[in-house]
Amino acid sequence: MAKLFERRLTPADSPLAIISRTTAAFLAAMLVAAFLFVSYGAHPLQAYFALFHEPFATLRGFGYTLARASPLALIGLGTIVTWRAGFSYLGFEGCFVLGSTSTAWLALSTASGGRIGHVPFFLFLSIAILFGFVSGGAWAGLVAVMRARFGGNEVLISLMSNYVAIFILQYTVSGPLRAPGSLPETRLLPRTTWLPFILPGTRAHAGILIALAAAGLVWTLLQKMPLGYELIVTGLNPLAARYAGIDVSRRFVLAAFLGGGLGALAGMVEVLGAQHRLMDGISGGMGFVGIIVALLARLNPLAVIPTALLYGGMSVGADAMQRRANIPSSITFILESLLVLLVLASDVLRYYEINASSLWCRSPQTVDGQASE
Amino acid sequence: MNQTQLMGAAFFVTWLSASLRLAGPVLLAALGETFAEQSGVLNVGIEGTILLGALASFLASYYTGMIWIGVFAAVLVGIAASILLAWFYVTARASQVVAGLVFNVLALGIASAVYRKALGNSSAPESIAVFGTLRIPFISDLPLIGPVLFGQTILFYLTLILVVVAQLVLFRTNFGLALRASGENPAAADSAGISVSRMRYAGTLISGAGAGMAGAYLVLAQVGLFRESIVSGQGFIALGIVIFGRWNPWKAALAALVFGACDALQLSLQIFTLRVPPQLLLALPYVVAIIAVSGLFGGKTAQPAALLVPYVKD
Repeated sequence: MAKLFERRLTPADSPLAIISRTTAAFLAAMLVAAFLFVSYGAHPLQAYFALFHEPFATLRGFGYTLARASPLALIGLGTIVTWRAGFSYLGFEGCFVLGSTSTAWLALSTASGGRIGHVPFFLFLSIAILFGFVSGGAWAGLVAVMRARFGGNEVLISLMSNYVAIFILQYTVSGPLRAPGSLPETRLLPRTTWLPFILPGTRAHAGILIALAAAGLVWTLLQKMPLGYELIVTGLNPLAARYAGIDVSRRFVLAAFLGGGLGALAGMVEVLGAQHRLMDGISGGMGFVGIIVALLARLNPLAVIPTALLYGGMSVGADAMQRRANIPSSITFILESLLVLLVLASDVLRYYEINASSLWCRSPQTVDGQASE
Repeated sequence: MNQTQLMGAAFFVTWLSASLRLAGPVLLAALGETFAEQSGVLNVGIEGTILLGALASFLASYYTGMIWIGVFAAVLVGIAASILLAWFYVTARASQVVAGLVFNVLALGIASAVYRKALGNSSAPESIAVFGTLRIPFISDLPLIGPVLFGQTILFYLTLILVVVAQLVLFRTNFGLALRASGENPAAADSAGISVSRMRYAGTLISGAGAGMAGAYLVLAQVGLFRESIVSGQGFIALGIVIFGRWNPWKAALAALVFGACDALQLSLQIFTLRVPPQLLLALPYVVAIIAVSGLFGGKTAQPAALLVPYVKD
């Protein structure tokens, strides 16, 4: 029988091929999701309406979408900087947590009677950005030092450093910064430290502006600056980079510092813009969803913003579906990961083409028993 | 014996027996992962596979009331999940880290959705019967080593047997040789007539079986109920154990014991009143795992040379 998948002589990389593959992956993900909705007794079209109507077609919902998209975009940008430099950092959950912890500590210190006392908002924000960026950057930079100096495995180190960061958060909210009460969380941060809301009547906050600015900066760094070029060359071929006189170890550490810092800014934005207090479980897997956003955007800093809006919107829509149709919101994890897995799977079509005729007619070779290897 | 000596003895008995108990699941996962990595595949997806195995074992023994059915269900689900993973790693030649990582998110979503669908949104988690300790007459009554070594569940002894089996299969059989050749030099293995992709599928499937069983171990011999946070990085710790154990089942068992001991410390120290924040002790196994894979202890000489490298047959 003729094979269903015929091997291509050269990988198919034309724009048309890429677009059609990605579209096919999206459609397949939608199809699987439709089956999921049916299994919960919902009409698939109505469920899709619920999933996308509130986050994108109502002002209130769109405010939430912007709020959810900001940290995702920042983590996605951090992923892009580190991964394009060839450093497979997976510790954004930890950077997020550290960024939110250090920001909350700083914000509570500016409360009346705090260590620092009241400061003007813009001064506070600049210090918070600097402080958060350095805390996350140092956290991720340490992993890069381990890799560059001792040859450690950055994938595993960064995965496990996430748990250490989460224990630091748990210690902070159950010890030094704990508010009176039964829950492990801090007091509400002083209102003067909150990020301003940008759309009247919604929860959209200035975090999305920070994310947009960061996207512009990362794009400029990677596309327009010699340093960004060096980072990309390091990622594409470390050996060639070294021959060209680039200090590969230093570039790893620098990329990790920038990426970790961006991840920590995501935590800052979440604390100052959305939660307004620090609590246990504040990240809720956002560090990993942010990586997925970057992957779906194919590590392109400008494509990260719409992808983050899509994913932020889907999580808002899923919450609405849980309230209305009693479909658990955890199916967003399924949808979000399935989308990327199917895009990855569609890459098979780079190397193989589908031989549709094999589906309905048997090739003549099988008649005399020769396999068409 | 005075008070302090008694406390000390009680501490050591509880600490050592908890160390062995907690080492079990990570060791099972690490044993399977050793096969995957020896064949050239870094299966990061075992974290999610353990979670799915835990859920399968919980649901199967919840509905049938039979504990062993839970173990079999977990192994089957683990293998099924790793067929998907192996397809991405080997056939689609996707980045192994990316595919494994995204699979973990998928597994979290599936586990949480299926658990809610099966048991509803009840606030009190349902618990199930667990394996009791296997008492061996006379030996279990020996002082100190009795309760430590011979007061474990049957899954623990099964895991010890699997260490020996894994060691023999990897280093004393043709299959083990072919598997290691696929991870060390796939081109040479290919020209010797070994199907590299078949070997890598086999390695990934074995790691899935180990991870599934590790999930069953967590539910059926430790916790007795299912939570989404039940795995919390133990799959990643198993990956660290494989490296620390130099891709060798026997050494992995020793490494798993070290991690079990760190993990058990916070449980056993509860009999003392310490002024140390509990999070410091909880973080200890992860910190030790980070140090173990930081590269401070020896280079990468024992690592399969073709780990993470997809094989393209010319």
